[in-house]
Amino acid sequence: MTTASADRATTPTPAATAAGPRDSWAAVFALARFEARRLLLRVPVLTAFAVYLTWIVWRTRDSFDGFPALQDADRATQGGPLLVGLAVLLCANHAVLRSDRYGTDRHFTVLVVQPWRRTVAHVLSVVPVTLLAAVGVAGQFTWEALKPGAVGNGSPAELLVGPLSVLLCGAFGVLLGRLLPAPLAAPLLIVFLLLFSVFTTGFGSWARWLMPVVGEGGGSFNLPSELLGRPAAWHALYLAGLALTAALLAVLLSGGLRLRAVQAGVAGALALTVVGAVGQSRGVPEETAEARTRISVTPEKVHRCDERDATTYCAFPEWAPRTDDWAEVVDGVRSLAGPGAQDRPLVVRQRVEARYGLDNDPLLTPSARPDEVTVGTTWGGNRVPEFAAAVAGVLVTGKEEAVHGICDGRMVTVMWLALADLPDPVDALRSVRLDDSDTGSAIVVSQTEPLSMSAAHTELVRELLRRPKEDTAAQVRTNWAELTAPGVTTDRVAQMLGLDAPDVDEDEEECS
Amino acid sequence: MPPTVSASGLSLHYGGTRALDDVSLRLSAGVTGLLGPNGAGKTTLLRVLATAVPAARGAFTVLGHDPSTSRGRQEVRRHLGYLPQTPGFHPDFTAFEFVDYVAILKELTDRAARHREVRRVLDEVALGDVRGKRIKKLSGGMRQRVALAAALVGDPEFVVLDEPTVGLDPEQRMRFRELIARAGEGRTVLLSTHQTEDVAMLCNRVVVLADGTVRFDGTPAELTAQAAGRVWSSAERDPGAKAGWRTGAGTFRNVGDPPPGADLLEPTLEDGYLLTLDGADAEVTA
Repeated sequence: MTTASADRATTPTPAATAAGPRDSWAAVFALARFEARRLLLRVPVLTAFAVYLTWIVWRTRDSFDGFPALQDADRATQGGPLLVGLAVLLCANHAVLRSDRYGTDRHFTVLVVQPWRRTVAHVLSVVPVTLLAAVGVAGQFTWEALKPGAVGNGSPAELLVGPLSVLLCGAFGVLLGRLLPAPLAAPLLIVFLLLFSVFTTGFGSWARWLMPVVGEGGGSFNLPSELLGRPAAWHALYLAGLALTAALLAVLLSGGLRLRAVQAGVAGALALTVVGAVGQSRGVPEETAEARTRISVTPEKVHRCDERDATTYCAFPEWAPRTDDWAEVVDGVRSLAGPGAQDRPLVVRQRVEARYGLDNDPLLTPSARPDEVTVGTTWGGNRVPEFAAAVAGVLVTGKEEAVHGICDGRMVTVMWLALADLPDPVDALRSVRLDDSDTGSAIVVSQTEPLSMSAAHTELVRELLRRPKEDTAAQVRTNWAELTAPGVTTDRVAQMLGLDAPDVDEDEEECS
Repeated sequence: MPPTVSASGLSLHYGGTRALDDVSLRLSAGVTGLLGPNGAGKTTLLRVLATAVPAARGAFTVLGHDPSTSRGRQEVRRHLGYLPQTPGFHPDFTAFEFVDYVAILKELTDRAARHREVRRVLDEVALGDVRGKRIKKLSGGMRQRVALAAALVGDPEFVVLDEPTVGLDPEQRMRFRELIARAGEGRTVLLSTHQTEDVAMLCNRVVVLADGTVRFDGTPAELTAQAAGRVWSSAERDPGAKAGWRTGAGTFRNVGDPPPGADLLEPTLEDGYLLTLDGADAEVTA
């Protein structure tokens, strides 16, 4: 103690204890900062953030999808923060129960900051984690938006859902700690919520909107942003109201019952929640349903068209910037085609089947108009060779609805034209086929009706793709009329293009 | 100088048990010892004065603030340091974090000033070197000093210590006595204890509580004087003694009403305390 006595002589004088009602709130904010720092350093929260950030990087790397539609990219930001939210729920609950668990309540009840203010601090401690999640969401969305192939418009309300989910989970963690001071309550709540989310998927659309994050089925196409029919703003209001209600109920339960401001706050928050819940449960508005029908049946009424050389590109307004990508593919296919096909007028028309919303994934019917090619609303990956095949098919047959019926030797020409100008043609061949192979017969995926390649077609196309592109192009131009004539046999095509006849069973050569 | 604490007629019953019965006290600067057997009502009195539980009857003020009102209670708490009988700790907190947390709950809101104050009290209780250590890794004595630091942080004018030396080894107890003595300089400290040595060494005043009532209120010397002429030595235990025990010399030390011609001994504070408890559960036998 001699040392301590010596220390005392040099240690500073005591800090004056703050006084007055204003300092109580300063203490609440100081406590919130203290709790927030601890919350951010908890292992479950750190782990959840690490997984979340890894997921963001994985999702947004260029090779995954370089052509996002931002009205769907905003929704893709919602799942990751939920993981952070669950970790925050556990840890916020643990922090609320800390005093009870370790018996410091006896001491802390006689300290100046009352229990209800401590609860306010616990709720506020979730805010920095929420803001960090918001930074993650903003980063993920910005990354997507900055991709050169990005089109469309994101919704601020959809972007708010992720951070609001974190806030909601934190508020529920605090409320649960005040309602049920048991360590197992939070893990059990998480299990219950997971079960509830599975259960609500079987309900109508109103019930699934009770969960924080509401995904959509299908997913292989994008709708124009004004036709999504998602009540995103109502849902954000519902989540904000619910988080506020949970937070204020926790304050009420910890001694704030007599505070009129808190009572009024609970009533207001509950009203917000109900308004949001009712608003989000009304389903797709009638005018949206009508607009979906209009854009599905008569897309030309909303198209914006751009004529380049002999091709007219008609796109929905949000997709107009994608014309360059389509034109690159069309020009590539045309450059390999025979006389007449290189400068034949073509219309590339964007279409979407919007009548069933995002819950279904319907195929588009092939266009019946001559020299018209359908392009969908997604791009990148397999969509590029699929579109190239459609362009080549129209150049060879003259009409999109005739392409899926090709079973003769023209299939070789169509597929070679489609793939030869792509950066890695053999890889594109594999990816455009349903079985991801480059041997045997297979279905060729398309945005409209699928095509089918026999084993003989596959063998010839593979051989052609391994040869110098210009050599084959010269032979194609020379023999264009015969190569594109209906009924031309695969053997004849092989002969014209300087290949051996394919070694396959005769049965496969028959058009059925 | 007005007293720090002024209590009159404090009463509190738990069911049929009388925990406090018409307790009146006036406490001023210095260390006041609160002695009493188990169940005497010491902890209850401390909890009432620390505003942890309200008294059923009676009233008290701390520095002129009346804790029966919400505003008054807050003011009392602003001037209070409390070390409960079995203080809890957050084991994952460091000593610094725990005291800092308590400092925030005492409304020390300026971060830099608060951290200076936390370092000061941790130095004061000789824990400056281990302030970054997690509480779960500290010894029992160190934890008790963390609790004392938490009670003293913010320089409260009224400090309530409920049996702070229980469970400490003799060396730790000596350290604690020094800390409490220092805490009593310029403050009002109310120290509940079973240890009469603590009172003898630390307190300028002592209150004896039994069955929820104040049996004695005075200086330690006055309590000792209660036993003057009532302690004697004998070869066998005197059956008339209220308490008696064999000493290291082999003779019996008796406390009570001595027989004529008894070999009277110099009384101690403990003798005075035992006689004050006459009627309560205080008999000590060899």
